[in-house]
Amino acid sequence: MGNWERLVWNQRDVLLQGLLVTIEICAIAFAVAIVMGLGLALIRLYVRPLRWIAGFWIEYCRATPIFVQLMWVNYVWPELIGWPTSFYTAGWVALALQSSGYLAETFRAGIENIGRGQREAAAAVGMSPILAFRRIVLPQVLVMIAPTIVTQFTVIVKSSTLVSVITVQDLMFQSQRLVNVWYEPIEILTATAALYILFIFAVSALGKALADRLRLRYGLGT
Amino acid sequence: MADAASTPPCVEVVDLHKRFGPLEVLRGVSTRVDRGSVVSIIGASGSGKSTLLRCINYLELPTSGEVRIDGEAVGFERRPDGQVRKRSAREIARFRQDLGMVFQQFNLWPHLTVLGNVVEAPLRVRGMPKREAMELGRACLARVQLSEKADEYPARLSGGQQQRVAIARALAMQPKVMLFDEATSALDPELTGEVLEVMRGLAADGTTMIVVTHEMAFAREVSDRAIYLHNGLIEEEGPPAQVFGDPKSDRCRQFLAKLLH
Ligand SMILES: Nc1ncnc2c1ncn2[C@@H]1O[C@H](COP(=O)(O)OP(=O)(O)OP(=O)(O)O)[C@@H](O)[C@H]1O
Ligand SMILES: [Mg+2]
Repeated sequence: MGNWERLVWNQRDVLLQGLLVTIEICAIAFAVAIVMGLGLALIRLYVRPLRWIAGFWIEYCRATPIFVQLMWVNYVWPELIGWPTSFYTAGWVALALQSSGYLAETFRAGIENIGRGQREAAAAVGMSPILAFRRIVLPQVLVMIAPTIVTQFTVIVKSSTLVSVITVQDLMFQSQRLVNVWYEPIEILTATAALYILFIFAVSALGKALADRLRLRYGLGT
Repeated sequence: MADAASTPPCVEVVDLHKRFGPLEVLRGVSTRVDRGSVVSIIGASGSGKSTLLRCINYLELPTSGEVRIDGEAVGFERRPDGQVRKRSAREIARFRQDLGMVFQQFNLWPHLTVLGNVVEAPLRVRGMPKREAMELGRACLARVQLSEKADEYPARLSGGQQQRVAIARALAMQPKVMLFDEATSALDPELTGEVLEVMRGLAADGTTMIVVTHEMAFAREVSDRAIYLHNGLIEEEGPPAQVFGDPKSDRCRQFLAKLLH
């Protein structure tokens, strides 16, 4: 028990600080991934001249290992476009890119699932395509893909451990630092794993609760 | 004569052509629908009935020809200087507000309640205040005898009830004309009656209606004029007694005879 107290409890500030960074970077990456994913899906579906670019981009995001993506964004992008300028930014950008590819395909499948008739009915009462998308298509798509979106967040959380490699001081980074100080990995890594499990569990539970509320609100509850 | 010139028909279709690639589905259709009248359109499958209806509200873009609502062309604007300008999607959407459409497949929005379906467009398109829209929505539901279902979701209604909600949704925009595209064809036979009953009521109230239908008895009963469409052309047009009872065209006669057997 003494070990746990010395290695974990006494270092709780460091670990929690790391956890906070993890939460933050995941939240940013997630928000960006959703916006990008939806944008890419819409471009692929509706903006004919840019369709192939979006398609290529989506494939690139999905086919590149997250580690390669992280290195690429961190070391190559600054050379090419002068951005990102911090490891932190590079971290969430890489995470967002990876997920945006998957989310784009999820959104696309969801949007294609809404029958053409519903959109025609919207057009027939004078709705613009944008209004119809916002009021008719998107709510149904969100309900439909909510579980996938939650899963995607947990993927981001797991992948986020890699940003420690580029010295972003997330939970994994702090944990490894403590291990390197004491060379006693058992307690620290176990505690780290427990924190990740808790975080992912909390996210899943919250996501499920939100999804259920959404379904209820739109009368699509079970 | 001066009167006819000063009050344009509610809907006027002028030499309408519609082509899907090599297939010419409408080959020059012209007709007019006066305010308060009911026109039914009959014809074999593939004759272009749906396409004609969908061209009237520009869900399909006509290849050539004109659709006029109260004398105004939907697709383009004639400027005073004689120039012709194509209308934007927004302007066309503005015209559609005045054209209620009822689809064969209902096309209700499943994530909104019955009342939600009905008030959506008055609220979001017309920008009507919420209270007023709700009142209007309930009045429209009453007209289709579905007041008690206002808070249900469409999935929990029968097909006939869903189609009546779709009618209420179209009525809520207080359109100048209602377009029905085989409103009862997707229904079980025992459910068509309630929908036809509602349509009968609308006709009796003086609603301007264009009704594509396979229900010949109904068409004959409610319409002021009937049109028989064949291969994208109006083959026969006139009072229902003539079109259904004593058509001049052999094709129309054969079409009707086939239906009886
Ligand atoms: N979007 C489209 N693209 C290509 N062809 C089409 C399209 N819509 C309709 N058509 C064709 O146009 C022809 C007329 O179709 P339309 O739906 O207007 O017929 P209809 O008279 O309504 O028939 P039904 O009684 O079966 O509903 C058909 O041959 C159909 O295949
Ligand atoms: Mg049809």
